[in-house]
Order: sequence, then C-alpha cells, then structure tokens
Amino acid sequence: MFTSKEHRASRLGISAGIASALILTACASTPPAPTAALEAAQLAMSNAERAEAGRYAAAELAEARTKFAAADAAVLEEKMIKAEQLAEQSRTEAELASARTAAVKAKLVNEEMSRSTGTLIDEMQRNAGEKP
Amino acid sequence: MKTTTFNDRKPASALITMAVASALLASCASVPVQPAGAQDARSKLMQLQSEQALASRAPLAIKDADAAVTLAEQPQGDLELAAHRVYIADRKIDIARAQAETKLAEDQRASLTAQREDARLDSRTREADAAHAAAATSAAKSVDLQRQLDELQAKMTDRGIVLTLGDVLFATGRADLKPEATGNLAALVTFLNSNPSRTVLIEGHTDNVGSSEANLSLSQLRADSVRAYLVGKGIGSSRLAASGKGEAVPVADNASAMGRQENRRVEVIISEPVAAL
Repeated sequence: MFTSKEHRASRLGISAGIASALILTACASTPPAPTAALEAAQLAMSNAERAEAGRYAAAELAEARTKFAAADAAVLEEKMIKAEQLAEQSRTEAELASARTAAVKAKLVNEEMSRSTGTLIDEMQRNAGEKP
Repeated sequence: MKTTTFNDRKPASALITMAVASALLASCASVPVQPAGAQDARSKLMQLQSEQALASRAPLAIKDADAAVTLAEQPQGDLELAAHRVYIADRKIDIARAQAETKLAEDQRASLTAQREDARLDSRTREADAAHAAAATSAAKSVDLQRQLDELQAKMTDRGIVLTLGDVLFATGRADLKPEATGNLAALVTFLNSNPSRTVLIEGHTDNVGSSEANLSLSQLRADSVRAYLVGKGIGSSRLAASGKGEAVPVADNASAMGRQENRRVEVIISEPVAAL
C-alpha cells in the first residue's frame, strides 16, 4: 500500500517535471529557423548557377549570395523573422539572376542570327558586284 | 422596463460618441501611408504594363509582380517588413520584364529565320539569274559570231572557220592585191578585231597552169600579201601565219576553166579562240 502510494506520488512528480520542462523549453525556445525559405533560396541559387548566371547576371547572383549569407547570420543571432525575409530576398534575387540570364542568352542568339544573315547578304552583294 | 430603457440610453449615447471618436481616431491613424518605395514600385510596374510588346508576353509574371506591389502598398508599422515587401515587389517586376524580353526575343527568332531564308533564296535566285544571264550572253555571242561569219561568207569546217577568197583579189600572175579587193578583206579585219583571241592561217593556192615551183612561189607570195595587208590594218602579226600550197591542194578539177578558177584562191583559216584551246 505504502509503496504503491509512494510510487504514484513519484510518478506525478516526474510527469510534473516533464511538463514543466516542456513548458520551459517552449518558452525559452526561439522561433524555428526558416528552413523552408533557406532551402528555397539555395535551390534558386543553384538553378541560377546552372544557367550560367555567373557569366550573364553576375551582379544579381552575387546579391543573392550576400542576402543568403545575411540570412544565415540572422539565424545564428536567432532573428528568425529577419532571417526568413533575407532568405526570401535571396531567392527572389536568384530568380532574377536566372531570368536575366535567359534574356541575355536569347538576345545573343538573335544577334548571332542577324549577323549571319547580314554576312550572307554582304557576300551576295560582293558576288553580284564582282560579276561583269 | 421603461426605467431600464431610460437608464440604458446614457451609456448608449456615450458608446456612440466613443465609437465615432475612435472611428475618427482610427481613420486618422490609418490614413493610408504607403511604405517608402511602394509608389516607385507601382510606377515601375505600370511602365512595364504599358509596353504592350513586353506586357503581353509575361502575363503570369506580371500578375505575380502586381500582387507583390499591392502587398507592398499596404500600410505597415513594421518598417523592416515594409521594406522587405518593397524589395520583393521591385525584383518581381524585374523578373517579369526579363521573362518578357526572353519571350520577345524568342518570338522575333521566327522572323529572323524567315529573313535568313529570304536572303538564302535571294542568293540562289541571283546565282540562277547570273547563270541565266551568262547563258544568254553566250547564246548572243554565238548568234553574233554566226552573223559575222555570214558576212564573211565563211564556212565552218573540221579545220576551223574557212573563208575562201577568190582569185579576184589578184591580177593574173601577180601577188599584189588589187585595190578593189580590199573591200572583201575589210570584213575579215572587222571580225579579227572583234575576236581578238582568234588566230589566222592564210593559205595560198593555185591551179596547175605553169610550173609547180612557180605556182608554189606565187601562192606563198599571195598568202604573204594578204598577211601584210592585215598587219597593215593593225592585226597583230603573231596572230597571222601565211603559207603557200601551190597547186597541191585543188578543190576542183583543173581540166575546166571554172575548176581552175575555183582552185586559184586564198583560204583564210580562223582558229577557235585561244582560250578554248
């Protein structure tokens, strides 16, 4: 009888301890790191790199990396809201780098086409000029 | 009931007053103060939307940017959040523009390809035209040559173009050209001048009257005489060869006077153009 009473009491004590620990943890814990936003930024940057943004939109890609580093730093400082914003900015900047890279590439293709057509016309005129 | 109603009136009116006052206050506080930069973002987006060639090519990205701008325009006490939203809106407009530019460039490619095809086609047409013109020129040349040969009364033979000058050029037994004979040679001079790549072999022939040695000598002298005349008319001497064949190569029977007359002749054999040799 005694033992069982004692046992019950200790069990209650333990659960109270766990509960209070949990409550304390919850109170003490900072908001979780914005993992999803950081991962999205990382993905957007690696997409941009694959698209050769380093060559065609270097400034935007560099800006995306700077923002990402700032987001990382904010996580360490446990400023999670700021970290999430910076991660989002990094991702958007990386997406801009990709979009600008695509635009530059598309224009380069067109310029090359125009140039080769121009060359063809030039050659034609030269040939026509050479004919007596 | 009445008292209750009466008693209730005071607090009610007080509540109304307070509500009005708070509404006024609230409206004062919420005078839509747009976060800094939101207006710039809106103008930037409107600029893109007004460029029809671009706006029509990135509708989804523009819609996305529009939503971001609208969010950025919301009054926001948290200045960091406000600045963040403006930043995102600005970049989304840039993304929309870049996407539209990409699409525009891709759409222009079709017309660039068409231009190149046109140029190629044009090039082929020109080549064909040139070939056609060359063929026409060469056809015209051959017609022209035929006309000239007709004027010379020359014949195409397997030795080349042969022009036979009758004995009317010379007095009997003489090797100097009769003055009136030069008219016959004028056409030959014209022909040689207009066909500078052709060379000429002049052959003298006689009938069988007299010794063959004398005839050989006479035929050589007559061929030389024609050559000298042509040289005198400006035909390069290197283009002209003269040879006396005597009575060795008759073209008719020497038994009759008519045959002998045919055999007394000077033949001018005109070569094919040097270029063709």
